[in-house]
Order: sequence, then C-alpha cells, then structure tokens
Amino acid sequence: MITFAFLDWLWLTLFVLLMVFFGAYFYRLGKRSQSDFFLAGRGLPWWLPASSVYATHTATDTPIWVAGVIYKYGFAGLWYAFFSAWCAISAFVSTRIFRRSLAYSQAEWQGLRFGGLSAEMLRGWLAGWQVFMNMFILGWVGIAMGKLCSLLFGWELWVGLIVFTAIGAVYVLASGYWGVVMADFQQGIIALLVIIIVSIWGVIAAGGPQEIISKLKTYNSTCEWKIPVDTQNTGRAMIRLTDPETGRVFVRGVPFAIIQGENDRLFDRAEKKVDEQINNRHVQKSDMVHVLFPSSGDTLLAGHGYQLVWTAGKTGRLVNVDYSTDGGRSWNSIAVNHPDGQHWRIDLFSFTGWTEGQFPIAWFITMLIIALIGGFGMGTSIDWYPEAQRIQSAKTVRDAAYSIWAGSALVLVRNSIWAGAIMGFFVLFPYLGQSSEYEMGWYIVGFQYLPVGMVGFLFAGILAIHLSTVSTHLNLGAMYATRDFYHHYVNPQADEHKLVRFGRYSTFVILIGSFIFGTIIGEEITTWLIFALWIMAAGVWLPNILQVIWWRFNGWGYLSAWVANLGLSWLVVWILPHFGIIPALPDYLQFWLLIVLNAAIYLPVTFLTEPENMDHLVAYYVMSRPIGFWGPVKREAVRRGLIEGSLPRIKSD
Amino acid sequence: MNLIKRKWTAAEADEWRKEDWIAILFSVLAYTFLTIGSALSFLLIPAGFVILGLGILSTLLMYYVIDPKLRTISSEYEKKQKEYLHQLDEIQRWEATK
Repeated sequence: MITFAFLDWLWLTLFVLLMVFFGAYFYRLGKRSQSDFFLAGRGLPWWLPASSVYATHTATDTPIWVAGVIYKYGFAGLWYAFFSAWCAISAFVSTRIFRRSLAYSQAEWQGLRFGGLSAEMLRGWLAGWQVFMNMFILGWVGIAMGKLCSLLFGWELWVGLIVFTAIGAVYVLASGYWGVVMADFQQGIIALLVIIIVSIWGVIAAGGPQEIISKLKTYNSTCEWKIPVDTQNTGRAMIRLTDPETGRVFVRGVPFAIIQGENDRLFDRAEKKVDEQINNRHVQKSDMVHVLFPSSGDTLLAGHGYQLVWTAGKTGRLVNVDYSTDGGRSWNSIAVNHPDGQHWRIDLFSFTGWTEGQFPIAWFITMLIIALIGGFGMGTSIDWYPEAQRIQSAKTVRDAAYSIWAGSALVLVRNSIWAGAIMGFFVLFPYLGQSSEYEMGWYIVGFQYLPVGMVGFLFAGILAIHLSTVSTHLNLGAMYATRDFYHHYVNPQADEHKLVRFGRYSTFVILIGSFIFGTIIGEEITTWLIFALWIMAAGVWLPNILQVIWWRFNGWGYLSAWVANLGLSWLVVWILPHFGIIPALPDYLQFWLLIVLNAAIYLPVTFLTEPENMDHLVAYYVMSRPIGFWGPVKREAVRRGLIEGSLPRIKSD
Repeated sequence: MNLIKRKWTAAEADEWRKEDWIAILFSVLAYTFLTIGSALSFLLIPAGFVILGLGILSTLLMYYVIDPKLRTISSEYEKKQKEYLHQLDEIQRWEATK
C-alpha cells in the first residue's frame, strides 16, 4: 500500500479537473449531430486521431502484459507486441479504402461492400458483437483498475472499477467523440511522459544501462517452472539438463521435496535462495555445470512458479530441462531448447529452433505474416474497430493514413521503452517465478523507486491510460448501438437531435453493463473470453483480407466464414485434442489449421452462391477504389464511363 | 522518367502504382527498425542508435514517396465527399437501394 503526499494529491486532482473541464468545453460541439458525437464531424488533423490511437492502445493492463512477455522472453518478447504493425500496410491500403467508403463503422462498411440479406445479417451480427465486445473490454480494463487500486490503496475492487470509469463517462456522455479525442490528446502526452520517466527511473535503479548488460552477462542461467498443481508430495524430485541435439545428460541435480499446500514462509525462502544462486559467481570458476536451485533440503510448493538455476556458460547454447518426481526413473519436460545464461535477453532474435522452444522461427514468421499482411484487410486485428472510428474522424484520406501510421509507430516505440525498463526490473528481481509477480514489474518500478511527490504524477498517468481506453470503448460501443441498430433498423427517420440523445442513452447502458461484466469477470470467464478474442482474430483473418481485395468474395462466403470459424475453433483448440484425435497444437499451428479448414467451407459457399450485384459492386468500387483482384468490376466501371481506365479504344480510320 | 513519380493527376493517383508498394516497404522497415532501435538505444547499446537512425530514414523516405500521391487523392476525393455522404444517408434511412 502507498500513501500520497500533498503534491501527489495535487497532481491527481488537477488531472481529474482537467478531464471534466474538457467534457464541459466540447459539450456544444458534441451535441450538434451524430457525425459530431461519433466522428468529431470528420474534420480532425492527423495528429489528433494519431494521439487517440496511441492513448487508446495504452491501457492499464498493457504494461502488465508487456512486462510479462519481456520478463519471460527478453527483448524477443517485443515481437509478441508487434501485432500493432498491421498499421504499416493498413495505413496505405485498408485505411485509405475504408476512409473513402465514409462508413461510420465496420458494420456499416459490410453493407456497402456486400448487398442484400447477407449484408444486413453481417451488419447486425458485427454491430451486436461490437456492443458486447466494448462492454466486455470496459469491464476487463475496469476491473484491472479496481485491482490496481486495491493493491495500492487497499480499496474494495468495485471502488476503483466504478469511480474511475465513471469519470471517463462524464465527458463521453457530455461531448461524445469530441471529448474522447481531445482528452486522448492530453492523456497521450501525460501517459507518454510518465512511461518515459518511470522507465528511465527503473533503468537507473538497476544501476544504469551498462550495469544491466554487465549483470545479464554474469548472472547464472534460469528457467521458469510452474510445478503442476496435481503433483503429489515427494522427497525424490530431481532436475536434469540435457543436450537437445545428442541427448547427452549435462547434469542431474540432487533430490529435493515437493509438497502440496500454501506456505508463504517456504516460498519466500526459496525465492531468496534463487536470488543468491543467480548471483553466485563462485561456481562459475568450476568447469562443471551445477544445478544451483533447487538443491538438497529445498522444499517447493505444487502449483507455484519458480526459477530453476544452473551455472551459466557450461552447456551448449540451448539445453533441455526435465524434472522427475520418482528419483530419476521417469522424466517430464519443463523446457525444450532453453537458452543458457541471461545474455540472450537483449537479443531480439534469440531463436530456439524452427519449431521448438520458447521462441521458434515458425512462430516468428507466423506472427509477421499475421501482423503485416493483415494490413491489407479490415478487422484482421481486434484493434481495427476503434481504429476505424479514428480513420473516419480524420479530415482527409491523407490525414487518416498518417494518423494510423503515427499512432501505431508510437505504440511500438512505447513498447520498446517499457522493454528497457523491464530489463532493469529483471536485473533487480531476477528470481520471480510467478507471472502474477513479475507482470506487475513496471508498476513496481514506479511505485517503489519514484520519489515522494512523483507518485501522484505516476497515478495521474495511470489514470490517463485508463480513461483514454474507457472513453474510447464507451463511445465506440454507443456508435454501433446508435448507428447500426437504432438508426438503421429501429428509427431510420430519426433527426440528429434524437440520434445524439440515443447515443447518450446507449453510452450509459454500456457503462452500467461494463460494471456488471467487471464484477463477474473471474479467472474462468476471462479464459473463455480470451479464447473468444483469439478465434475471432484467427479463423476469419483471411476472409477479412479477401473481402477487401477480391471482388468475387461475397456476403454469404464471409458470413459462412464467421459461422464455420465458431465451430472449427472449438474443435481444433479443445475438442479434438481432448479426445486424442489430434495433439494439442501450439498456437501458430492452430492458426494455420484454422485458415485451411475454414477455407474449405467459405470458398465453396462463395462459388456456389451468386456474386454480388454488379451495380452494387461498381458503386462500391468507384467510391473506394480497392486494391487487389477487381478486374471485372473495374472494366464495368470504365465501360459505364464512371472512371478513367486503360480499356483499349477502338480506332476509327 | 523519374523512379518516383512526384506529380499525379487525379485518375493516376486513384490507381495502385509502384509508389504505393515502395511506401509500404519503407513503412514496414520503419516499424521494424523503430522497434528494435528504440529498445537497444534505451539501454545505450551503440547498434541501437544506428538502427533507430535507419528507422527515421525509412520514415522520411516513406513520406517522400507517398505524400504527393496521398495529397492528390485527398484533394480530389474531398470534392466528391459531400455527394457520397448524401448517398450514405439515403442508404441508412432506407431511401435508396444499395
């Protein structure tokens, strides 16, 4: 728990007042029309939506997630966060096409790209899904804020959830997207300043850059091991290290104990010993490799995470790590192709083989393809949906392109700054084996090492991070409810005044829904919904590209891809592995398998149903000028004299 | 003929040309270099500053290649935007067939 000094309260109060002021200041602009309430009148220069892209994608759970992957995988963990790179291509392809369509939302775009019943079904489905998703994301980040406040101030979870989300709701209800984007601009600046200051502080606390690199060179090797929760009590547990290529045993540790249950004293003692052994340079003078932790007399707790330690530099570059619970008669794998030493942590390309280990080349290639090629499509990343709103709020196609590019570039640079700070955190706390501990690394650096008076500034930065995400999703969810449900289906003749009013009502309903979600989100529900997020991204990834680049892909094909994906992903991820029909696959193989299986359904559906109406396609083509395979549509547009083209002219002699 | 086209007519700018692909290439390189360069530079690793420099250079080249085309697309498109918005409103209110 922390205590605020006067200066801390001052920072925080000033920041909250500033946010509420912005709500009031832009009230008049927000209430003018639906376009103002949801798109700021489509008149923003590129740097405003860019700052909103950056601020929105910096949430309270983002440093937790980034800290987790960097602590575990070193700088190579940055590639886990590289998915934002879809904007590298999107900025000049799908952003341009989407901005020209003028659709408020992705759901509305479906109605422009496809026609008839399939288009209406897609619009309704996407709108419903987006209202739900925004409510869920709000609950998710809200409860993360609740947990943080509980950790910092000892408050009940609901206090942090409701109070700080409600502050965001004040200015969103008042001024809609105008308030969101203007507040995001300041929040983006405050959040960036806080991230840079805390991260520099973290590096200094670890002794500075040279000291961090020096320690990474001298620390002994570690490997995270979460002991299976169902491991029975034993006094004959052992660790061994083997050569991945030859199978030769480098070393076999001495027996230690594993017991069931909770025991903080035992766990803390173990972490202290891990810390000592990581720094134990004495053993490095020996030519032999030694398992330094766990060793004789150590007792580990089932279901807990530990860092195993062995002397660095005495094996090959990669080792296999196994454990036994029966004195070495049988062995189970802990890690395959695990890097030796710690210096690999500052190598962004510390691959552990083609398909094995924690950072295989096959995973890296898959990630690059998903991230980069995804930029040709719309909806290939979950972030597309808030980005689509920012694209339409930019005043020109050029502004839209630069806003998406610059906002995401800043997100990537921010990740790298965090990564540097987490490297400092690792040097300070290299013994943490529980992900729940090291995932809080960046926050711990801030709250433990910043001087008195700056803690309030840090908390204001965290609040900025939280409010920017909350305000975006409140307004975005309300836009789908208003534009794609109420206006299109319930009251098509509604005037601007009614639409803005409905926008406010739906903002409020989504706010209340998010509180309910936040309070019921537990470990189990989060796991299921993360699965839902994953399958939404994986199985329809290619159809999301095809709908942009291929004229013949129709609404029924796209709809069948969504439906098929829901069933297939369950089969591939859970049901077939559970019955032993296929092995449990790594996530990158699941992705490719889902791509192939889904295509076996939506491609026949596409070819067995009629292409979209040519008049409809021509209208869409002339307006959006999409990239890819649009030959027949382009020729028809040229034939009708709607665009200039390169059709051969008949010469009259 | 220049390697990079700097003056565009409206019809030319609407087409997908090699300048789009060159800009995409520089864009991808810029993101990659900026990510790697920032992380390494933050720990004052000399190679990081070189890579960061390459990231900034890639960004400038991307801008040089694509900006004239984007300007032309934007200025031409804005002329038609009002009409398109009117069509969109008709679709939204079920006053026009899509």
